[in-house]
Amino acid sequence: MNRDLLWKLLRRLDLVSVVAVLLLMAIGIAFVYSAGYRGEDQPVAGFHRRQIVWCAIGAMVFVVAAVADYRRIGAQSAGLYAAGLAALVLVLFFGIRVYGARRWLDLLGQRVQPSEFAKLATILALARFLSLPHVDPRAPSTLAVSALITGPPFFLIAAEPDLGSALALIPITAALLIVAGVPWRTLGLLALAATLVLPIGWFALGDYQRDRLLVFFDPAHDPLGAGWNSIQSGIAVGSGGLWGKGFLRGTQNVLGFLPRTVAPTDFIFSVIAEEKGFVGSAAMLGLYAMVIAGGLRAAARARDKFGQLWATGLTTLLFFHVFTNIAMTIGLMPVTGLPLPFISYGGSFMMTAALAAGEIQSVFIRRYSR
Amino acid sequence: MSLIRQRLRFWITTIVMGVAFAVLMVRLASLHLGTNESLRQRVTRARTVRQTMRVGRGRILDRHGRILAMDLILHDVCADPAALLREGHHEFIGARLALMLQLEPAMVVGRLSQAGRRYVRLRRAVPDEELRAVEAMKFPHVWFEPASVRSYPYGGTACHVVGFSNVEGVGGAGIEQQFDRYLRGREGLRISEQDGLGRELYGRRLLEIAAQEGADVHLTLDLDLQEMVEAALDEALPGSGAVGGWVIVQRVRTGEILAMASRPYYDLNAYGRAPEDRRLNRAIGYVYEPGSTFKVAVIAAALDAGVVRPDQVFDCENGLWHYRGKSLRDYHPHGRLTVADILKKSSNIGAAKIALELGEVRVEEALRRFGFGRRTGVEIPGEEAGILHPRSRWTSISLTRIAMGHEVGVTSLQMLNALCAIANDGFLLRPTIVSRVTDPRGRVFRETAPEVLDRPLSAAGARRICALLERVTEPGGTGTKAAVPGFRVAGKTGTAQKPIPGGYSDDRNIASFVGVLPADRPEIGIIVVLDEPQPLRTGGAAAAPIFSTIAQRAVRHLGISPDGPPRVIDPTIEYSPPAFPESNRDSGQSL
Repeated sequence: MNRDLLWKLLRRLDLVSVVAVLLLMAIGIAFVYSAGYRGEDQPVAGFHRRQIVWCAIGAMVFVVAAVADYRRIGAQSAGLYAAGLAALVLVLFFGIRVYGARRWLDLLGQRVQPSEFAKLATILALARFLSLPHVDPRAPSTLAVSALITGPPFFLIAAEPDLGSALALIPITAALLIVAGVPWRTLGLLALAATLVLPIGWFALGDYQRDRLLVFFDPAHDPLGAGWNSIQSGIAVGSGGLWGKGFLRGTQNVLGFLPRTVAPTDFIFSVIAEEKGFVGSAAMLGLYAMVIAGGLRAAARARDKFGQLWATGLTTLLFFHVFTNIAMTIGLMPVTGLPLPFISYGGSFMMTAALAAGEIQSVFIRRYSR
Repeated sequence: MSLIRQRLRFWITTIVMGVAFAVLMVRLASLHLGTNESLRQRVTRARTVRQTMRVGRGRILDRHGRILAMDLILHDVCADPAALLREGHHEFIGARLALMLQLEPAMVVGRLSQAGRRYVRLRRAVPDEELRAVEAMKFPHVWFEPASVRSYPYGGTACHVVGFSNVEGVGGAGIEQQFDRYLRGREGLRISEQDGLGRELYGRRLLEIAAQEGADVHLTLDLDLQEMVEAALDEALPGSGAVGGWVIVQRVRTGEILAMASRPYYDLNAYGRAPEDRRLNRAIGYVYEPGSTFKVAVIAAALDAGVVRPDQVFDCENGLWHYRGKSLRDYHPHGRLTVADILKKSSNIGAAKIALELGEVRVEEALRRFGFGRRTGVEIPGEEAGILHPRSRWTSISLTRIAMGHEVGVTSLQMLNALCAIANDGFLLRPTIVSRVTDPRGRVFRETAPEVLDRPLSAAGARRICALLERVTEPGGTGTKAAVPGFRVAGKTGTAQKPIPGGYSDDRNIASFVGVLPADRPEIGIIVVLDEPQPLRTGGAAAAPIFSTIAQRAVRHLGISPDGPPRVIDPTIEYSPPAFPESNRDSGQSL
């Protein structure tokens, strides 16, 4: 690949999305710093330095993914999917146990979450399958095969247990089926079936998961235990007001009401909301809207069906994370441990998000040009 | 599938996501902008901590720094009944603890058998020795909490002066009450923020008011002398048959009270069990008709005013004088007596006639200037003002009664202070019992200097009456038993029947002796009062010997020499209190 071609490709990037992603990463670094800040006379937790490294690697992954042709990855979907499943099986046996869940694998001293990789592989496999020329979206067999593709990773991730991550696969699959052209009637029946299965799922839940659900419907159910994080993050968001308390001035975080372990990761949004207020959180939501709109645009203008589905799936993944995380923080959804793309502290998901955004750009770069 | 349909599916996906974002936005707006002020304040309040920092109560010390009252850190013995019960140790440990702490075993076991309780305090303020024994047992679920206890190392000594403070640390009597504000100090206050674990955040401290340790109150009391006085009282009282007795020792030149004892008394460490009667400080809180001691004031005023001379003779009517339809009697009948002898022999009739010479106006003025009828202002609560009716309420014979110490009520402190004024060249000083108040770092909050209240007599007049009073303790006087070997004592006996409804009691009186010594250069004044000595006796018989005992011990203890150059008095110079160097603690004997 010569330099002219590279330049030509980069010029076709969706600059709005790219800038939005970079801004989100910068915001992430700033507020991971803030989340580790405890006052002038206290040392700042070192999370932000590592976050800078993650962002740099993420940016590289983004560029490489954008430049590489997504169709070449699509061709490898079967192998990648198999590798994803293998990793999920591995983690069940050799995973590092943290708070009772095996979600991490130790890869050369670096903890990685196989579920992130497996989700991407699953999206890839689904997109690939649904875009095969001989697959008829109207045929029931298509639905069955789709379920067979989504099912194993779903249950393996749920078994870790990491229900939040597993659940992400459902709206992604749904979005892919919608865009792929599965008849509405079929989709409706599927939704109905899911609704009926839901109560049964209650009994499959672990105690802590039930607690979280109960707390969601009644935060006072256990205000000092399961309900603590969401109540405190609600207070954090609410006390931000219009303009916020100012950078590093959020008290919920500095005072440790928001547990230090979750402040830079799953609850980073509440730190931002408290310190930057409604203006800050609305602006951040706007940046995510740009990224997601850009992803849907890329899907709409993809040059082939695989590109369209691939971009749709990845966009839905990003959307689901953004929505779930913020909704959980502001008490619209039960607490799940889904991180905020580009902002939450952590390497595995930074790679996933960067890869997803890069692949979306890869599709966009190779769009139809009229 | 048509392109239109394909587009539609996309739009639906986009719309779903858009709606989801809109929902987030609405919720964010309502949280950010709708969270009302009261919730925000509640959050702030939950995060704010107000800490008060308790301080120890100050000490009360005698003039040589000996501690009369102090805070002691002891320990409460506490236990966790629920845990003991769960492990089945409650009976065994309860029985052991009861034995070691001298508690009722059944009660202790009962208190330890409450499954629902995690905390009981078995005994407050356990002395260190017992505590160590319990500690050594290493009982599970039994622990010790520090507790501050007010302790009075000398028990009942000077109890009426020192007073006590209750378990809340609030002074309830004596100096403890009067100087509570100083002794208590000031609690510190800290307003700050706390983090999620309830730890204070140093960097977010909003307000810090430093605690002020309780200040020490230094008394003018001399503990040695106080103990001597109390011992003398306790030796004499049982034999006297009196129901009560009290003594004050005052320094003539400064008004400082060196000792103040009152009987009956109580143990400060058990003030809660003391009945009110025992808590009464009779030296300042008991008003009585003084009897003959009061004649001193009237005769001194008459001499000073020049209406009588010491050698002037009055007819004492052989002990029975009818005046304005009432009879006046002398204890011992006398014929004609000089003014000097009227004082020496304590003739009621003579005193009445002298008062009549001076007249109502000047008698009342003189008595008020001696401080009768109002509080002296000594720094102990419970002082009475005494009774001296205004002249407008006097009857035609009041003057003759007042002259012999009836129809008036005094406190012993007033009586002693008036005599000390006579001994102090006519300067009436405010009696004082607190010399200074200092904080633990030695800063002086308050210091008492001698304060002149009034000057009822001229220096020459004071000297003259003082010389006459010396004769009381000489042979032929009423107060011979008050004599102190080697010393010249100026004083006066007093015997007053107790008033009962419709007259005076025949079998109950108050016997007293008030005196100063050495008479030619007076240093200390002492008053001894006995309440109802039985069988009935006079002040000269009952109180004077106690005075003598106390005075002998006092002069020896204080290093007052029997002879020395008489003080030169220049009546023209303004009064300035003589400077007494604060005596050294180690030698502790000089005055």
